[in-house]
Amino acid sequence: MLVATTVAACGGQDGSAPKAPATIPELTKDPLTLSFIWFDWPPAHALEAFANAEYTKGRPNVTIKVKTVPNANWHDAMFTQFAAHKTDFDIPILDSQHIGEAVTNGNILDITDFVKKNIDVKAYNPYLLAAYGQFPQAETGKRDENASLYGLPLLGDTWTMIYRKDLIGDKPPQTWDQMISVAEKCQADNPGVSGLAFHQANGSDAAAVTYNTVNGVYGGNLWDPKTRKIDGVLNDAAGQEAMDVLVNKMKPLTAKGSGNWFIDEVNAAVAQGKACIAFNWIAASGGLLDPKQSTLGTTREQILDKLGFATLPSQKTNLVPLGGMGMHVSAYAPEANQAEALNFMKWFEQGDIQKKWAAAGGVPSRTDALESPEFLNAQPFNQVYTDSVPRMRDMWNVPEYARLVDIENTNVNAALNGAKAPKDALDDIAKQQQGVLNASSGKGGGGL
Amino acid sequence: MSDSAPLTTDHPGQAASATPPAPGRSRRLSDRGLAVAFTSPALLLLLAMSVFPLLWALYLSFTDYSATRGGPAQFLWFENYTAILTSPQVHQRALTTLIYVVGAVALQTVLGFAIAYLISRRTHGRGLLTTLFLVPMMLSPVVVGLFWRFMLDAQFGVINSMLGSLGLGQVEWLTRQRTALISLILVDTWQWTPFIMLIALAGLTAVPKYLYEAASIDRASEWFQFRTITLPLVWPLLLIAVLFRAIEAFRLFDLVYILTSGGPGVSTETLSFHVYKVAFLGFNTGTASAYGILMVLIVIVLTQLYLRYLNKLKED
Repeated sequence: MLVATTVAACGGQDGSAPKAPATIPELTKDPLTLSFIWFDWPPAHALEAFANAEYTKGRPNVTIKVKTVPNANWHDAMFTQFAAHKTDFDIPILDSQHIGEAVTNGNILDITDFVKKNIDVKAYNPYLLAAYGQFPQAETGKRDENASLYGLPLLGDTWTMIYRKDLIGDKPPQTWDQMISVAEKCQADNPGVSGLAFHQANGSDAAAVTYNTVNGVYGGNLWDPKTRKIDGVLNDAAGQEAMDVLVNKMKPLTAKGSGNWFIDEVNAAVAQGKACIAFNWIAASGGLLDPKQSTLGTTREQILDKLGFATLPSQKTNLVPLGGMGMHVSAYAPEANQAEALNFMKWFEQGDIQKKWAAAGGVPSRTDALESPEFLNAQPFNQVYTDSVPRMRDMWNVPEYARLVDIENTNVNAALNGAKAPKDALDDIAKQQQGVLNASSGKGGGGL
Repeated sequence: MSDSAPLTTDHPGQAASATPPAPGRSRRLSDRGLAVAFTSPALLLLLAMSVFPLLWALYLSFTDYSATRGGPAQFLWFENYTAILTSPQVHQRALTTLIYVVGAVALQTVLGFAIAYLISRRTHGRGLLTTLFLVPMMLSPVVVGLFWRFMLDAQFGVINSMLGSLGLGQVEWLTRQRTALISLILVDTWQWTPFIMLIALAGLTAVPKYLYEAASIDRASEWFQFRTITLPLVWPLLLIAVLFRAIEAFRLFDLVYILTSGGPGVSTETLSFHVYKVAFLGFNTGTASAYGILMVLIVIVLTQLYLRYLNKLKED
């Protein structure tokens, strides 16, 4: 740690995001490797294969490399390099909430002028464009056309409800309460199969997204972005009801020992026929239809006879979590690589390429691609994404995101695993997160 | 060499001084010069990789510096240290670490010594047994963590499967507050008991045989021999092994990271894991540096006290 601290501390910076040119500079003809950094999951491998097959048709001297790290190390892998002012990647794929931290510290390029000149912004759902690229970003609502852009959509995502048609019927539950009672009955009728499976781990943003989702459908708010108030907002009556539903109604319907489950564990439970209803990120659901990984059937069709995919049930509201990521340009990449990165972005965001990306397993953000047969027919859960886009809600897109999400993760995980009373956990989240936001008005220091 | 050159001389020093160095050749290095030449690369590496970062971290620990937010660091004097020493969160992690260190090291010492004692009494297969027992120690902690994560999985793990076949219920090893910390202690014990065993075995082998022979002639019981000969002679060596293990256990990070991520909640979050979060989640570099320095100081002070006790034991 001492060495890392020293490397990080030895760099200097001015704290503002450098601007990318409006026009793509002349591209090199020499061999060049364009490097991305992402976490290790199927879309990362799909992107590398897709880009090497398609982008290199026009740029044969370029090789695309998607470097992957475990999900839990993703933030650290990018930001420790940013801190050292030297990156071994050109295009960091940042979670929407990471943008604030990267922009404030001058780690990624301001691509506002480039976007104006090269990208058809009207082709996108404005909220998606804002979520994956704009800063400061409104928590919900539409894109501010005067705000700066620092990224463009790479992969859209949200949660899908995965349900066992053979156990609960073809019609998915429409409300959250209904979903809980259906899961309860299914669990009682099918010994060895748990009613629900969802993310509960205290790593990454697993448990936090689960709470945020329930908080959203029960009418709660994560904060008041205008006043930067969390304490009193998150833990209001709606927030407490959401925590009560999550811990006292949903948790008893999960498998014993599932308190550290995340994407892979939920998929495993579904594939092994151990869950009636599950929630997972759409972009991570492809493996569920692979007969080699599933006990639900020996063919994709057999599996699809048993599995259904639906948008999340609503309750007091119909909000769903925003997932997915945008692509950005490292401020520390060599100039030739930055130029190539801009060229790649321009190429990638074209309508026909977005449709090809959709067919290759990606989740696009352009409206024409989202509604195209290439996307809707590619996977049985793609329609869920298209239907969910108008219902999305993101978290706090602020530089303090990493600490805020850690506070929420650890406390929700504690409540789900009986280490803390639900109300205490929620109050602690609100109090500690408020402390982080309040302290961040000063520079450095603190952080315990 | 010319024929006229003497092969030997009674006064080598004079001969050396009388013969001027050949043109174009460097002067011979003295012993001291050679020593400096050979050690300086290692010394420079040590300075660059250990001493400089330590001093730099010491400087940063008095500031509000953040590696990512940048800008000039403001001097805070002892504010970071005060915040850490008075933080209830740090106290909680310190207690967790203490329970872990005491639990793991005590268990490893008892088991390690017992295994070593049993092995030392065997005449055949001692080498093979020792080698087999050493295998866990040779594995990377990350591999051990992943291996045990699968073993301890409540749904699909081998341990629960075995418990099930014995008619016992499922245990949530990694997701319940008490069992999660116990699981960490057990996994660490699995990996590091061989270390204590190895040291204890060395001590047991070094006990002079004639002491036992004399005790046998006096018809001393096995227990008496163990209590008055074996234990007192092996004890100082065992305490050194305990010291090494305690220092290692105090800075436990990898097993926590892989097995529990500090959970459930923060109930298995050790001091090292917490300082990692402070350093890399919020990039509060100044605070993290102070935290690291305090941890080093604690280890140094406790080690000094322990070594004094060991010296006293030796004198007695």
